[in-house]
Amino acid sequence: MGEHCCGLRVGDTVPDFKMETWEPEKGDFGEVSLQALKDRKRWTVLFFYPADFTFV
Amino acid sequence: MTVSRDTKFVHLAWQREEKMLEKTKFTMAADPTGNVSRMFGVYDEATGLALRGVFIISPEGKLLNAEVNYYNLGRNIEELLRKVKANVYLGQHGDEACPVKWKEEGDKTLKPSAEMVGKVYEALK
Repeated sequence: MGEHCCGLRVGDTVPDFKMETWEPEKGDFGEVSLQALKDRKRWTVLFFYPADFTFV
Repeated sequence: MTVSRDTKFVHLAWQREEKMLEKTKFTMAADPTGNVSRMFGVYDEATGLALRGVFIISPEGKLLNAEVNYYNLGRNIEELLRKVKANVYLGQHGDEACPVKWKEEGDKTLKPSAEMVGKVYEALK
């Protein structure tokens, strides 16, 4: 991941990333990538949390 | 979309088990390697978990907002939505600024200018 290995800052261009997903609306698994979201001109909100089955 | 280090299988199990997640519409992404968490600086090496971080990325791929809370503080979704709306608005109105109480399109914005310097109080009235 090069220069952005560990800590993007506001104003930086985010390198592409890809993750496997669970899609509750479709009831199916999927895959998401930043590139695919950019291609569809979407805004992206990433909401990190420690683990499933946690509390706040 | 939400991200944790759990796999997509655990996301499925949690979303189906927890009643609060019954009506979930957002994508639940899996970052088992922690690589995406590391990219955004929320990977906690001590625990192997991701801190409670929120990031807003424009359609051009630019990081516009970053907020990180420690483990036991929840995030205010109203404020998150306000920031998303403000960023979308500012994407179309780059010469304006959304003040702290801006909530949605139509609310008062500021256009910074020489006349406004030191006169923000008057401009917001």
